[in-house]
Amino acid sequence: MSWSPSPTTAALELREVGHDYPSRDGTVPALDGITLSLDQGQHLAVVGPSGSGKSTLLRLIAGFQQPTRGTLTVHGTPVTGPGPDRGVVFQQPTLFPWLSVLANVEFGLRMAGVPRKERRERALHQLALVGLADTARMRPYELSGGMQQRVAIARALAPDPGIVLMDEPFGALDALTRERMQEELRLLWRHTRKTLVFITHDVEEAVFLGTRIIVLSARPGRIILEESSDLPYEENPRAAPGFARLRERITEAVRHAAHQAH
Amino acid sequence: MNTAVRPRTGPTDRGSGTRLNSDNSTRSRFHLSAAARSLGLRALAVGGFLLLWWAVARAEIWPPVILPPPHAVWEQAVATTTEGFSGSTLPEHLWASMRRILTGSGYGTAGGILLGLLIGLVPALRVMLGPLISFVRALPPLAYLSLLVIWFGINEEPKIWLLIIASLPPVAVATADAVRNVGPDYLHAARSLGARSWRLPLWIVLPHALPEVITGVRIAVGVAYTSVVAAETVNGLPGIGGMIREAQRFNQTDIVILGLFVIGLSGLLIDGILQRIDRILAPWRGRT
Repeated sequence: MSWSPSPTTAALELREVGHDYPSRDGTVPALDGITLSLDQGQHLAVVGPSGSGKSTLLRLIAGFQQPTRGTLTVHGTPVTGPGPDRGVVFQQPTLFPWLSVLANVEFGLRMAGVPRKERRERALHQLALVGLADTARMRPYELSGGMQQRVAIARALAPDPGIVLMDEPFGALDALTRERMQEELRLLWRHTRKTLVFITHDVEEAVFLGTRIIVLSARPGRIILEESSDLPYEENPRAAPGFARLRERITEAVRHAAHQAH
Repeated sequence: MNTAVRPRTGPTDRGSGTRLNSDNSTRSRFHLSAAARSLGLRALAVGGFLLLWWAVARAEIWPPVILPPPHAVWEQAVATTTEGFSGSTLPEHLWASMRRILTGSGYGTAGGILLGLLIGLVPALRVMLGPLISFVRALPPLAYLSLLVIWFGINEEPKIWLLIIASLPPVAVATADAVRNVGPDYLHAARSLGARSWRLPLWIVLPHALPEVITGVRIAVGVAYTSVVAAETVNGLPGIGGMIREAQRFNQTDIVILGLFVIGLSGLLIDGILQRIDRILAPWRGRT
Protein backbone atom coordinates (compact mmCIF):
# COMPACT_ATOMS: atom_id res chain seq x y z
CA MET A 1 0.00 0.00 0.00
CA SER A 2 2.78 2.42 0.86
CA TRP A 3 6.14 2.43 -0.77
CA SER A 4 9.59 2.07 0.61
CA PRO A 5 12.19 3.76 -1.55
CA SER A 6 15.01 1.43 -2.28
CA PRO A 7 18.42 2.86 -3.08
CA THR A 8 19.54 0.00 -5.28
CA THR A 9 16.67 -0.53 -7.72
CA ALA A 10 15.06 2.09 -9.90
CA ALA A 11 11.49 3.10 -9.07
CA LEU A 12 10.51 2.28 -12.61
CA GLU A 13 12.49 0.43 -15.21
CA LEU A 14 11.57 -0.37 -18.81
CA ARG A 15 13.86 -2.49 -20.95
CA GLU A 16 13.25 -2.72 -24.70
CA VAL A 17 9.51 -2.47 -24.10
CA GLY A 18 7.27 -2.71 -27.17
CA HIS A 19 3.57 -3.09 -27.69
CA ASP A 20 1.49 -4.18 -30.70
CA TYR A 21 -2.22 -3.84 -31.18
CA PRO A 22 -4.06 -6.52 -33.11
CA SER A 23 -5.52 -5.37 -36.40
CA ARG A 24 -7.36 -6.92 -39.34
CA ASP A 25 -4.18 -7.91 -41.12
CA GLY A 26 -1.77 -8.86 -38.36
CA THR A 27 -0.63 -6.31 -35.82
CA VAL A 28 0.02 -2.58 -35.59
CA PRO A 29 3.08 -1.66 -33.53
CA ALA A 30 2.27 1.16 -31.10
CA LEU A 31 5.50 1.27 -29.10
CA ASP A 32 8.97 -0.05 -29.78
CA GLY A 33 12.28 -0.29 -27.99
CA ILE A 34 11.44 1.85 -25.00
CA THR A 35 14.29 1.68 -22.50
CA LEU A 36 14.02 3.94 -19.53
CA SER A 37 14.99 4.06 -15.89
CA LEU A 38 13.36 6.39 -13.42
CA ASP A 39 14.60 7.04 -9.87
CA GLN A 40 12.26 7.58 -6.97
CA GLY A 41 11.17 11.22 -6.92
CA GLN A 42 11.79 11.93 -10.58
CA HIS A 43 9.05 13.43 -12.70
CA LEU A 44 8.92 12.05 -16.19
CA ALA A 45 7.01 14.02 -18.79
CA VAL A 46 6.20 12.09 -21.97
CA VAL A 47 5.57 14.24 -25.05
CA GLY A 48 4.76 13.21 -28.59
CA PRO A 49 2.38 13.70 -31.49
CA SER A 50 -0.99 11.95 -31.35
CA GLY A 51 -0.65 8.29 -32.23
CA SER A 52 2.83 8.10 -30.76
CA GLY A 53 1.74 5.59 -28.13
CA LYS A 54 1.98 7.97 -25.15
CA SER A 55 -1.18 6.62 -23.59
CA THR A 56 -0.16 3.05 -24.39
CA LEU A 57 3.07 3.61 -22.47
CA LEU A 58 1.13 4.82 -19.45
CA ARG A 59 -1.33 1.94 -19.66
CA LEU A 60 1.54 -0.54 -19.74
CA ILE A 61 3.09 0.99 -16.62
CA ALA A 62 -0.34 1.06 -14.95
CA GLY A 63 -0.75 -2.62 -15.79
CA PHE A 64 -3.97 -2.21 -17.78
CA GLN A 65 -2.20 -3.85 -20.71
CA GLN A 66 0.76 -6.20 -20.91
CA PRO A 67 3.77 -5.32 -23.08
CA THR A 68 4.22 -7.47 -26.17
CA ARG A 69 8.01 -7.28 -25.84
CA GLY A 70 10.53 -6.34 -23.20
CA THR A 71 10.38 -6.12 -19.41
CA LEU A 72 8.76 -3.60 -17.14
CA THR A 73 9.56 -3.52 -13.44
CA VAL A 74 8.49 -1.35 -10.52
CA HIS A 75 11.06 -1.35 -7.70
CA GLY A 76 12.46 -4.49 -9.28
CA THR A 77 9.15 -6.38 -9.43
CA PRO A 78 7.65 -7.16 -12.86
CA VAL A 79 4.29 -5.48 -13.50
CA THR A 80 1.51 -8.02 -14.04
CA GLY A 81 -1.56 -5.86 -13.48
CA PRO A 82 -2.87 -2.68 -11.86
CA GLY A 83 -1.99 -2.15 -8.21
CA PRO A 84 -2.19 0.41 -5.43
CA ASP A 85 1.56 1.07 -5.69
CA ARG A 86 0.79 3.01 -8.90
CA GLY A 87 -1.92 5.65 -8.60
CA VAL A 88 -3.56 6.68 -11.87
CA VAL A 89 -5.17 9.98 -12.87
CA PHE A 90 -7.07 9.63 -16.13
CA GLN A 91 -7.78 12.13 -18.88
CA GLN A 92 -11.36 12.27 -17.57
CA PRO A 93 -11.81 12.47 -13.78
CA THR A 94 -13.51 9.02 -13.77
CA LEU A 95 -14.90 9.63 -10.28
CA PHE A 96 -17.54 7.19 -9.09
CA PRO A 97 -20.82 9.15 -9.28
CA TRP A 98 -22.56 6.80 -6.85
CA LEU A 99 -20.16 7.83 -4.09
CA SER A 100 -19.71 11.19 -2.41
CA VAL A 101 -16.53 13.18 -3.03
CA LEU A 102 -15.15 12.02 0.32
CA ALA A 103 -16.07 8.37 -0.34
CA ASN A 104 -14.29 8.62 -3.69
CA VAL A 105 -11.11 9.81 -1.99
CA GLU A 106 -11.54 7.14 0.70
CA PHE A 107 -11.98 4.36 -1.86
CA GLY A 108 -8.35 3.23 -2.01
CA LEU A 109 -7.98 3.33 1.78
CA ARG A 110 -11.18 1.33 2.16
CA MET A 111 -9.88 -1.30 -0.25
CA ALA A 112 -6.69 -1.45 1.82
CA GLY A 113 -8.73 -2.08 4.96
CA VAL A 114 -7.80 1.17 6.72
CA PRO A 115 -10.12 1.66 9.73
CA ARG A 116 -12.99 4.09 9.27
CA LYS A 117 -11.72 6.93 11.46
CA GLU A 118 -8.19 7.00 10.07
CA ARG A 119 -9.57 6.62 6.56
CA ARG A 120 -11.77 9.66 6.99
CA GLU A 121 -8.95 11.77 8.41
CA ARG A 122 -6.51 10.89 5.65
CA ALA A 123 -9.08 11.46 2.92
CA LEU A 124 -10.05 14.84 4.35
CA HIS A 125 -6.38 15.80 4.60
CA GLN A 126 -5.87 14.83 0.96
CA LEU A 127 -8.93 16.83 -0.09
CA ALA A 128 -7.60 19.82 1.85
CA LEU A 129 -4.30 19.55 -0.07
CA VAL A 130 -6.16 20.13 -3.33
CA GLY A 131 -8.23 22.88 -1.69
CA LEU A 132 -11.56 21.06 -1.74
CA ALA A 133 -12.19 20.05 1.88
CA ASP A 134 -15.56 21.78 1.85
CA THR A 135 -16.86 19.63 -1.01
CA ALA A 136 -16.48 16.35 0.94
CA ARG A 137 -20.21 15.69 1.19
CA MET A 138 -21.06 16.68 -2.37
CA ARG A 139 -21.46 14.33 -5.31
CA PRO A 140 -18.76 14.48 -8.03
CA TYR A 141 -21.15 15.71 -10.73
CA GLU A 142 -21.97 18.76 -8.62
CA LEU A 143 -18.40 20.03 -9.12
CA SER A 144 -16.86 21.80 -12.09
CA GLY A 145 -14.51 19.88 -14.39
CA GLY A 146 -11.39 21.36 -12.78
CA MET A 147 -12.61 20.55 -9.28
CA GLN A 148 -13.46 16.99 -10.35
CA GLN A 149 -9.94 16.51 -11.69
CA ARG A 150 -8.51 17.77 -8.38
CA VAL A 151 -10.66 15.24 -6.52
CA ALA A 152 -9.33 12.59 -8.90
CA ILE A 153 -5.78 13.63 -7.97
CA ALA A 154 -6.66 13.49 -4.26
CA ARG A 155 -8.20 10.05 -4.77
CA ALA A 156 -5.08 8.77 -6.51
CA LEU A 157 -2.79 10.19 -3.80
CA ALA A 158 -4.81 9.08 -0.75
CA PRO A 159 -3.49 5.48 -0.61
CA ASP A 160 0.03 6.97 -0.76
CA PRO A 161 1.30 5.27 -3.93
CA GLY A 162 5.02 5.53 -4.66
CA ILE A 163 4.36 6.21 -8.32
CA VAL A 164 1.65 8.42 -9.78
CA LEU A 165 0.67 8.11 -13.45
CA MET A 166 -1.20 10.93 -15.16
CA ASP A 167 -2.64 10.75 -18.65
CA GLU A 168 -3.16 14.31 -19.91
CA PRO A 169 -5.09 15.12 -16.75
CA PHE A 170 -5.57 18.78 -17.68
CA GLY A 171 -6.35 18.23 -21.35
CA ALA A 172 -10.07 18.80 -20.92
CA LEU A 173 -9.73 21.98 -18.84
CA ASP A 174 -9.81 25.60 -19.98
CA ALA A 175 -6.48 27.39 -20.29
CA LEU A 176 -6.78 29.41 -17.08
CA THR A 177 -7.77 26.47 -14.89
CA ARG A 178 -5.09 24.33 -16.51
CA GLU A 179 -2.37 26.83 -15.71
CA ARG A 180 -3.42 27.07 -12.08
CA MET A 181 -3.60 23.28 -11.77
CA GLN A 182 -0.09 22.96 -13.25
CA GLU A 183 1.24 25.36 -10.64
CA GLU A 184 -0.60 23.55 -7.82
CA LEU A 185 0.70 20.23 -9.02
CA ARG A 186 4.26 21.54 -9.30
CA LEU A 187 4.20 22.79 -5.70
CA LEU A 188 2.51 19.61 -4.47
CA TRP A 189 5.12 17.48 -6.20
CA ARG A 190 8.09 19.47 -5.07
CA HIS A 191 7.35 18.43 -1.51
CA THR A 192 6.70 14.74 -2.00
CA ARG A 193 9.22 12.14 -3.00
CA LYS A 194 6.74 10.52 -5.30
CA THR A 195 7.69 9.37 -8.76
CA LEU A 196 5.53 10.90 -11.44
CA VAL A 197 4.90 9.85 -15.02
CA PHE A 198 3.02 12.51 -16.88
CA ILE A 199 1.62 12.23 -20.41
CA THR A 200 0.99 15.47 -22.27
CA HIS A 201 0.88 16.92 -25.75
CA ASP A 202 1.62 20.35 -24.31
CA VAL A 203 5.38 21.02 -24.53
CA GLU A 204 5.18 23.96 -22.14
CA GLU A 205 3.47 21.77 -19.54
CA ALA A 206 6.17 19.11 -19.96
CA VAL A 207 8.96 21.63 -19.39
CA PHE A 208 7.09 23.19 -16.49
CA LEU A 209 6.54 19.90 -14.63
CA GLY A 210 9.14 17.39 -15.83
CA THR A 211 12.54 16.74 -14.31
CA ARG A 212 12.96 14.16 -17.06
CA ILE A 213 11.37 14.70 -20.45
CA ILE A 214 11.14 12.23 -23.32
CA VAL A 215 9.77 12.81 -26.79
CA LEU A 216 8.20 9.88 -28.64
CA SER A 217 8.20 9.50 -32.41
CA ALA A 218 5.12 8.81 -34.48
CA ARG A 219 3.89 5.20 -34.64
CA PRO A 220 5.55 3.08 -33.56
CA GLY A 221 6.57 5.29 -30.63
CA ARG A 222 10.31 5.33 -29.98
CA ILE A 223 12.26 7.69 -27.74
CA ILE A 224 13.78 10.31 -30.05
CA LEU A 225 14.83 12.85 -27.44
CA GLU A 226 15.63 12.62 -23.76
CA GLU A 227 16.23 15.64 -21.54
CA SER A 228 16.89 16.23 -17.85
CA SER A 229 15.88 19.42 -16.14
CA ASP A 230 15.67 21.00 -12.71
CA LEU A 231 13.44 23.84 -13.88
CA PRO A 232 10.39 22.62 -11.90
CA TYR A 233 12.36 23.39 -8.73
CA GLU A 234 12.93 27.02 -9.74
CA GLU A 235 10.89 29.73 -8.07
CA ASN A 236 9.38 30.72 -11.39
CA PRO A 237 10.25 28.11 -14.03
CA ARG A 238 8.77 30.04 -16.94
CA ALA A 239 11.07 32.99 -16.28
CA ALA A 240 14.17 30.83 -15.79
CA PRO A 241 16.84 31.24 -18.48
CA GLY A 242 16.81 27.61 -19.60
CA PHE A 243 13.04 27.38 -20.03
CA ALA A 244 12.66 28.84 -23.52
CA ARG A 245 15.69 26.96 -24.83
CA LEU A 246 14.48 23.59 -23.53
CA ARG A 247 10.98 24.25 -24.79
CA GLU A 248 12.40 25.09 -28.21
CA ARG A 249 14.45 21.89 -28.39
CA ILE A 250 11.48 19.76 -27.42
CA THR A 251 9.10 21.58 -29.75
CA GLU A 252 11.54 20.98 -32.57
CA ALA A 253 11.67 17.25 -31.80
CA VAL A 254 7.87 16.97 -31.55
CA ARG A 255 7.48 18.86 -34.81
CA HIS A 256 9.96 16.54 -36.44
CA ALA A 257 8.07 13.48 -35.12
CA ALA A 258 4.72 14.82 -36.26
CA HIS A 259 6.17 15.63 -39.66
CA GLN A 260 7.42 12.08 -39.99
CA ALA A 261 3.91 10.80 -39.48
CA HIS A 262 2.54 12.46 -42.63
CA MET B 1 5.68 22.07 4.42
CA ASN B 2 1.98 22.52 4.78
CA THR B 3 1.79 26.19 3.89
CA ALA B 4 3.76 25.70 0.72
CA VAL B 5 1.96 22.53 -0.28
CA ARG B 6 -1.54 23.75 0.32
CA PRO B 7 -2.64 25.02 -3.07
CA ARG B 8 -4.36 28.33 -3.27
CA THR B 9 -7.99 28.12 -4.10
CA GLY B 10 -8.52 30.65 -6.79
CA PRO B 11 -11.48 32.98 -7.07
CA THR B 12 -12.68 31.18 -10.20
CA ASP B 13 -13.41 28.01 -8.32
CA ARG B 14 -15.23 29.75 -5.52
CA GLY B 15 -17.20 31.52 -8.16
CA SER B 16 -18.10 28.34 -9.96
CA GLY B 17 -19.18 26.79 -6.68
CA THR B 18 -21.70 29.50 -5.94
CA ARG B 19 -22.75 29.71 -9.55
CA LEU B 20 -23.58 26.02 -9.43
CA ASN B 21 -25.86 26.57 -6.45
CA SER B 22 -27.67 29.51 -7.97
CA ASP B 23 -28.07 27.49 -11.15
CA ASN B 24 -29.83 24.83 -9.16
CA SER B 25 -32.22 27.23 -7.51
CA THR B 26 -33.19 28.93 -10.76
CA ARG B 27 -33.65 25.54 -12.33
CA SER B 28 -35.98 24.36 -9.57
CA ARG B 29 -37.99 27.57 -9.75
CA PHE B 30 -38.29 27.12 -13.48
CA HIS B 31 -39.35 23.52 -12.91
CA LEU B 32 -42.05 24.57 -10.49
CA SER B 33 -43.73 26.90 -12.93
CA ALA B 34 -43.32 24.40 -15.77
CA ALA B 35 -44.78 21.70 -13.54
CA ALA B 36 -47.74 23.90 -12.65
CA ARG B 37 -48.28 24.59 -16.31
CA SER B 38 -48.24 20.96 -17.39
CA LEU B 39 -50.50 20.09 -14.44
CA GLY B 40 -52.99 22.67 -15.64
CA LEU B 41 -52.84 21.35 -19.19
CA ARG B 42 -53.38 17.83 -17.95
CA ALA B 43 -56.39 18.85 -15.84
CA LEU B 44 -57.77 20.56 -18.94
CA ALA B 45 -57.34 17.38 -21.01
CA VAL B 46 -58.98 15.19 -18.36
CA GLY B 47 -61.86 17.67 -17.98
CA GLY B 48 -62.34 17.81 -21.75
CA PHE B 49 -62.36 14.03 -21.97
CA LEU B 50 -64.97 13.70 -19.20
CA LEU B 51 -67.10 16.39 -20.83
CA LEU B 52 -66.95 14.65 -24.23
CA TRP B 53 -67.76 11.30 -22.63
CA TRP B 54 -70.71 12.81 -20.78
CA ALA B 55 -72.02 14.51 -23.94
CA VAL B 56 -71.82 11.34 -26.05
CA ALA B 57 -73.50 9.25 -23.33
CA ARG B 58 -76.14 11.95 -22.89
CA ALA B 59 -76.94 11.93 -26.62
CA GLU B 60 -77.81 8.22 -26.15
CA ILE B 61 -76.37 7.18 -29.49
CA TRP B 62 -75.67 3.87 -27.76
CA PRO B 63 -77.65 2.42 -24.84
CA PRO B 64 -76.11 2.85 -21.34
CA VAL B 65 -75.16 -0.82 -21.22
CA ILE B 66 -72.70 -0.09 -24.04
CA LEU B 67 -71.60 3.35 -22.88
CA PRO B 68 -72.61 4.33 -19.35
CA PRO B 69 -72.28 8.03 -18.42
CA PRO B 70 -69.35 9.15 -16.19
CA HIS B 71 -71.55 9.66 -13.13
CA ALA B 72 -72.79 6.04 -13.33
CA VAL B 73 -69.18 4.89 -13.07
CA TRP B 74 -68.64 7.26 -10.16
CA GLU B 75 -71.74 5.94 -8.39
CA GLN B 76 -70.40 2.40 -8.85
CA ALA B 77 -67.08 3.53 -7.38
CA VAL B 78 -68.92 4.70 -4.27
CA ALA B 79 -71.19 1.63 -4.16
CA THR B 80 -68.41 -0.93 -4.59
CA THR B 81 -66.29 0.85 -2.00
CA THR B 82 -69.04 0.94 0.62
CA GLU B 83 -71.17 -2.13 -0.19
CA GLY B 84 -68.73 -4.23 -2.20
CA PHE B 85 -69.02 -6.32 -5.33
CA SER B 86 -68.77 -10.09 -5.61
CA GLY B 87 -68.00 -10.46 -1.94
CA SER B 88 -65.27 -7.79 -1.58
CA THR B 89 -65.09 -4.01 -1.52
CA LEU B 90 -63.21 -2.09 -4.23
CA PRO B 91 -60.16 -1.44 -1.99
CA GLU B 92 -60.04 -5.16 -1.19
CA HIS B 93 -60.10 -6.02 -4.91
CA LEU B 94 -57.37 -3.46 -5.55
CA TRP B 95 -55.25 -4.65 -2.65
CA ALA B 96 -55.51 -8.28 -3.82
CA SER B 97 -54.25 -7.27 -7.28
CA MET B 98 -51.54 -5.01 -5.86
CA ARG B 99 -50.29 -7.72 -3.55
CA ARG B 100 -49.94 -10.06 -6.52
CA ILE B 101 -48.17 -7.40 -8.57
CA LEU B 102 -45.76 -6.50 -5.79
CA THR B 103 -45.01 -10.11 -4.86
CA GLY B 104 -44.62 -11.27 -8.46
CA SER B 105 -42.55 -8.37 -9.71
CA GLY B 106 -40.60 -8.35 -6.44
CA TYR B 107 -39.42 -11.93 -6.94
CA GLY B 108 -39.05 -11.24 -10.67
CA THR B 109 -36.86 -8.21 -9.99
CA ALA B 110 -34.64 -10.00 -7.46
CA GLY B 111 -34.21 -12.95 -9.80
CA GLY B 112 -33.71 -10.67 -12.78
CA ILE B 113 -30.92 -8.66 -11.12
CA LEU B 114 -29.12 -11.84 -10.05
CA LEU B 115 -29.52 -13.47 -13.47
CA GLY B 116 -28.57 -10.24 -15.29
CA LEU B 117 -25.44 -9.88 -13.16
CA LEU B 118 -24.39 -13.46 -13.92
CA ILE B 119 -25.14 -13.13 -17.63
CA GLY B 120 -23.35 -9.78 -17.85
CA LEU B 121 -20.25 -11.04 -16.03
CA VAL B 122 -19.92 -14.56 -17.48
CA PRO B 123 -19.82 -14.60 -21.30
CA ALA B 124 -20.56 -18.35 -21.46
CA LEU B 125 -23.78 -17.86 -19.51
CA ARG B 126 -24.79 -15.06 -21.87
CA VAL B 127 -24.41 -17.38 -24.85
CA MET B 128 -26.39 -20.11 -23.09
CA LEU B 129 -29.19 -18.15 -21.44
CA GLY B 130 -29.52 -15.08 -23.67
CA PRO B 131 -31.76 -16.70 -26.31
CA LEU B 132 -33.91 -18.40 -23.65
CA ILE B 133 -34.59 -15.06 -21.95
CA SER B 134 -35.41 -13.39 -25.28
CA PHE B 135 -37.78 -16.28 -26.03
CA VAL B 136 -39.63 -16.03 -22.71
CA ARG B 137 -39.74 -12.26 -23.05
CA ALA B 138 -41.49 -12.53 -26.42
CA LEU B 139 -44.27 -14.81 -25.05
CA PRO B 140 -47.61 -13.15 -24.24
CA PRO B 141 -48.42 -14.00 -20.58
CA LEU B 142 -51.86 -15.34 -21.52
CA ALA B 143 -50.12 -17.98 -23.65
CA TYR B 144 -48.42 -19.64 -20.69
CA LEU B 145 -51.19 -19.03 -18.18
CA SER B 146 -52.86 -22.33 -19.18
CA LEU B 147 -49.66 -24.23 -18.57
CA LEU B 148 -49.22 -22.58 -15.17
CA VAL B 149 -52.82 -23.49 -14.24
CA ILE B 150 -52.12 -27.13 -15.13
CA TRP B 151 -48.92 -27.07 -13.07
CA PHE B 152 -49.96 -25.00 -10.08
CA GLY B 153 -53.77 -25.14 -9.90
CA ILE B 154 -56.08 -22.13 -9.80
CA ASN B 155 -55.16 -20.35 -6.58
CA GLU B 156 -52.39 -17.82 -5.94
CA GLU B 157 -49.43 -19.84 -7.22
CA PRO B 158 -50.10 -19.65 -10.98
CA LYS B 159 -50.82 -15.90 -10.75
CA ILE B 160 -47.61 -15.16 -8.87
CA TRP B 161 -45.61 -17.38 -11.21
CA LEU B 162 -47.13 -15.66 -14.23
CA LEU B 163 -46.03 -12.28 -12.91
CA ILE B 164 -42.57 -13.55 -12.03
CA ILE B 165 -42.09 -15.00 -15.51
CA ALA B 166 -43.40 -11.81 -17.11
CA SER B 167 -41.29 -9.40 -15.03
CA LEU B 168 -37.98 -11.27 -14.74
CA PRO B 169 -36.72 -11.02 -18.35
CA PRO B 170 -36.84 -7.21 -18.72
CA VAL B 171 -34.90 -6.76 -15.46
CA ALA B 172 -32.39 -9.44 -16.44
CA VAL B 173 -31.83 -7.92 -19.89
CA ALA B 174 -31.47 -4.36 -18.56
CA THR B 175 -29.07 -5.48 -15.81
CA ALA B 176 -26.97 -7.61 -18.15
CA ASP B 177 -26.65 -4.77 -20.68
CA ALA B 178 -25.68 -2.26 -18.01
CA VAL B 179 -23.16 -4.65 -16.46
CA ARG B 180 -21.52 -5.25 -19.82
CA ASN B 181 -21.35 -1.53 -20.51
CA VAL B 182 -19.39 -0.58 -17.39
CA GLY B 183 -16.67 1.72 -18.66
CA PRO B 184 -13.27 -0.01 -18.51
CA ASP B 185 -11.81 3.16 -16.97
CA TYR B 186 -14.04 2.75 -13.89
CA LEU B 187 -12.73 -0.79 -13.47
CA HIS B 188 -9.15 0.33 -14.11
CA ALA B 189 -9.49 3.16 -11.61
CA ALA B 190 -10.84 0.77 -8.97
CA ARG B 191 -8.10 -1.79 -9.63
CA SER B 192 -5.42 0.91 -9.42
CA LEU B 193 -6.87 1.95 -6.07
CA GLY B 194 -6.27 -1.58 -4.82
CA ALA B 195 -9.69 -3.18 -5.42
CA ARG B 196 -9.34 -6.89 -6.06
CA SER B 197 -11.37 -8.45 -8.87
CA TRP B 198 -13.88 -10.10 -6.58
CA ARG B 199 -14.82 -6.76 -5.05
CA LEU B 200 -15.61 -5.12 -8.39
CA PRO B 201 -19.19 -6.47 -8.84
CA LEU B 202 -20.44 -5.02 -5.57
CA TRP B 203 -18.38 -1.82 -5.53
CA ILE B 204 -18.33 -0.80 -9.19
CA VAL B 205 -20.44 -2.94 -11.51
CA LEU B 206 -23.75 -2.98 -9.64
CA PRO B 207 -23.74 0.68 -8.55
CA HIS B 208 -22.82 1.66 -12.09
CA ALA B 209 -25.71 -0.43 -13.43
CA LEU B 210 -28.22 0.88 -10.88
CA PRO B 211 -29.97 3.46 -13.12
CA GLU B 212 -30.54 0.85 -15.84
CA VAL B 213 -31.63 -1.72 -13.27
CA ILE B 214 -34.25 0.70 -11.96
CA THR B 215 -35.45 1.31 -15.52
CA GLY B 216 -35.74 -2.48 -15.86
CA VAL B 217 -37.76 -2.62 -12.64
CA ARG B 218 -40.14 0.04 -13.95
CA ILE B 219 -40.65 -1.97 -17.13
CA ALA B 220 -41.12 -5.14 -15.05
CA VAL B 221 -43.78 -3.57 -12.86
CA GLY B 222 -45.47 -2.27 -16.01
CA VAL B 223 -45.47 -5.74 -17.52
CA ALA B 224 -46.78 -7.18 -14.24
CA TYR B 225 -49.58 -4.63 -14.37
CA THR B 226 -50.62 -5.57 -17.87
CA SER B 227 -50.42 -9.26 -16.95
CA VAL B 228 -52.28 -9.23 -13.64
CA VAL B 229 -55.70 -8.79 -15.22
CA ALA B 230 -54.94 -11.72 -17.49
CA ALA B 231 -53.79 -13.79 -14.51
CA GLU B 232 -56.98 -12.95 -12.65
CA THR B 233 -59.29 -14.21 -15.39
CA VAL B 234 -58.97 -17.63 -13.72
CA ASN B 235 -60.38 -17.62 -10.18
CA GLY B 236 -59.37 -14.01 -9.73
CA LEU B 237 -61.69 -12.95 -6.91
CA PRO B 238 -60.87 -10.86 -5.03
CA GLY B 239 -58.87 -8.85 -7.55
CA ILE B 240 -59.51 -6.09 -10.08
CA GLY B 241 -59.19 -8.55 -12.97
CA GLY B 242 -61.69 -10.90 -11.34
CA MET B 243 -64.00 -7.99 -10.64
CA ILE B 244 -63.90 -6.86 -14.28
CA ARG B 245 -64.55 -10.40 -15.51
CA GLU B 246 -67.44 -10.88 -13.10
CA ALA B 247 -69.00 -7.55 -14.14
CA GLN B 248 -68.64 -8.50 -17.80
CA ARG B 249 -70.67 -11.65 -17.21
CA PHE B 250 -73.60 -9.56 -15.99
CA ASN B 251 -73.12 -6.73 -18.51
CA GLN B 252 -72.30 -4.27 -15.71
CA THR B 253 -70.38 -2.00 -18.04
CA ASP B 254 -69.96 0.75 -15.44
CA ILE B 255 -68.05 -1.63 -13.16
CA VAL B 256 -65.88 -2.83 -16.06
CA ILE B 257 -64.94 0.79 -16.81
CA LEU B 258 -64.42 1.46 -13.11
CA GLY B 259 -62.00 -1.47 -12.98
CA LEU B 260 -60.06 -0.06 -15.94
CA PHE B 261 -59.74 3.31 -14.23
CA VAL B 262 -58.65 1.80 -10.94
CA ILE B 263 -55.97 -0.39 -12.51
CA GLY B 264 -54.78 2.44 -14.77
CA LEU B 265 -54.60 5.10 -12.07
CA SER B 266 -52.92 2.85 -9.53
CA GLY B 267 -50.40 1.91 -12.24
CA LEU B 268 -49.57 5.57 -12.79
CA LEU B 269 -49.20 6.03 -9.04
CA ILE B 270 -46.80 3.07 -8.71
CA ASP B 271 -44.72 4.28 -11.64
CA GLY B 272 -44.58 7.75 -10.08
CA ILE B 273 -43.29 6.21 -6.86
CA LEU B 274 -40.66 4.22 -8.79
CA GLN B 275 -39.51 7.38 -10.59
CA ARG B 276 -39.18 9.01 -7.20
CA ILE B 277 -37.10 6.10 -5.92
CA ASP B 278 -34.97 6.35 -9.07
CA ARG B 279 -34.17 10.00 -8.34
CA ILE B 280 -33.23 9.17 -4.75
CA LEU B 281 -31.11 6.10 -5.51
CA ALA B 282 -29.48 7.23 -8.78
CA PRO B 283 -29.35 11.03 -8.70
CA TRP B 284 -26.44 11.01 -11.15
CA ARG B 285 -28.54 9.62 -14.01
CA GLY B 286 -27.79 11.65 -17.14
CA ARG B 287 -25.31 13.88 -15.30
CA THR B 288 -21.97 12.16 -15.79
